[in-house]
Amino acid sequence: MSNAIIEVNHLEKKFGENTVLKDIHFCVEKGEVVSVIGSSGSGKSTLLRCINLLEIPTSGEILFHGENILKQAQLSSYRTKVGMVFQQFNLFNHMTVLENCMVGQTRVLKRNPKEAEEIAKNYLRKVGMIAYIHAYPRQISGGQKQRVAIARALAMEPEVLLFDEPTSALDPEMVGEVLNVMRDLAHSGLTMVVVTHEMAFARDVSSKVVFMDQGVIAEEGHPDIIFNQPKNERTRQFLTRILHQQ
Amino acid sequence: MLLLAANRNFFEWVSFFLQNYGSRFLQGALVTLEVSLIGTVIGFIIGLIVGYLRSIPDNPMSSLWKRVILKIGKMISTIYVEVFRGTPMIVQSMIIYYGSTELFGFEMAAFEAAILIVSINTGAYLTEIVRGGIESIDHGQLEAALCVGMTYRQAMLHIILPQAIRHILPALGNEFVINIKDTAVLNVITVNELFLASKTISATHYRYYEVFTITCVIYFIMTFTVTRILRWIEKKMDGRSSFELYHDDLGGALHE
Repeated sequence: MSNAIIEVNHLEKKFGENTVLKDIHFCVEKGEVVSVIGSSGSGKSTLLRCINLLEIPTSGEILFHGENILKQAQLSSYRTKVGMVFQQFNLFNHMTVLENCMVGQTRVLKRNPKEAEEIAKNYLRKVGMIAYIHAYPRQISGGQKQRVAIARALAMEPEVLLFDEPTSALDPEMVGEVLNVMRDLAHSGLTMVVVTHEMAFARDVSSKVVFMDQGVIAEEGHPDIIFNQPKNERTRQFLTRILHQQ
Repeated sequence: MLLLAANRNFFEWVSFFLQNYGSRFLQGALVTLEVSLIGTVIGFIIGLIVGYLRSIPDNPMSSLWKRVILKIGKMISTIYVEVFRGTPMIVQSMIIYYGSTELFGFEMAAFEAAILIVSINTGAYLTEIVRGGIESIDHGQLEAALCVGMTYRQAMLHIILPQAIRHILPALGNEFVINIKDTAVLNVITVNELFLASKTISATHYRYYEVFTITCVIYFIMTFTVTRILRWIEKKMDGRSSFELYHDDLGGALHE
């Protein structure tokens, strides 16, 4: 437990009368790649959005290196350490690729523009988007946008990177390029939490798989166990259904 | 001479007024432009500030007194917007111009009063337009900004407002054009803008039709020019439609 970067205890989230997350316990250790799987509406995206407080939990606690972030007034510094990649990319539309990867560094981390540019270019090189630094988001494809979004998050040099269904909004032929980047990141030792429908990624890349069902974590463990000998009946049903589709 | 004057046809009258009162028309037009331009700019600033204020979401995590202040601020802004949008500018100008002497005991120059009135009036309209502009920006932009650690204020300043302003630019231009025309009502508080200048000129010779034809053309030239300039600015702001590939010395393109 001492290695835990993020620890979630008794987390509950309600939207009005509707309870979306019930008594969630969840833990991310340094270097782990955690895949969160489950059917739509099971609460996996909400869990991710609670972790960086895009949704305010109804109750429970979220510890970052042992400190409860729900008690902190300053979210800014916490959020720089927990990056986020969205399903819809959310690149800043009025900025070039390069500016997208610099604005957080210069405005939040107060890095000087020269340094920020070097760091941004470095990560854009990593995701294979260096040639496009002068392009605006509307000028590049979905897969390219998502790779830029990953570079933007990496440029903040976060401790954990959260991925909210990063390939779900992509055309099938673009899924591969994004997954390749994510695979490289996982192998480089980056701590990642990935909400995904890509079962191959969950099985082959992650060090832990969390299966969510109806707002609770139904089962979690090593991908080999979850995919080959799931204990929970619902996990089995879900995997049978989704693996048949894919 | 008098006989001659009576026999002038329309075109002769027009050229007579242009020759003898050209500079009066020009002065009036300048005052109209000045008041509407300054009024629109200040009104836009008011609109940005109040529109921003009205867009701030109630954050249950911030302190109670902050939330109370925000609530009161929003209430005042609602009253401001509703009152100034819901009453005619001609009535507002009477109240503000004569009321300033009556209530506060200082006499406002007509020109200053005019700018004040146009500014707060425009501000009330633009507040709602700015808020609409902010709301038209996809919520994901704000979330992405927050996720790189920006505060709400930073996200607004660097991410949301620049995009919102581009969206509302046509509405802003429209407001400027409306102001050029609507400043005509300021003649009731003796601002020497184009309408009052025309009224004075026409009354001197009892020729309304000819004078106001000239006035009409001048108004149209002003609004038409302004519209063109704004269209040009909009185009400029959209940036180039193509981009150049960057040649990286260190190589790259891992996953092409």
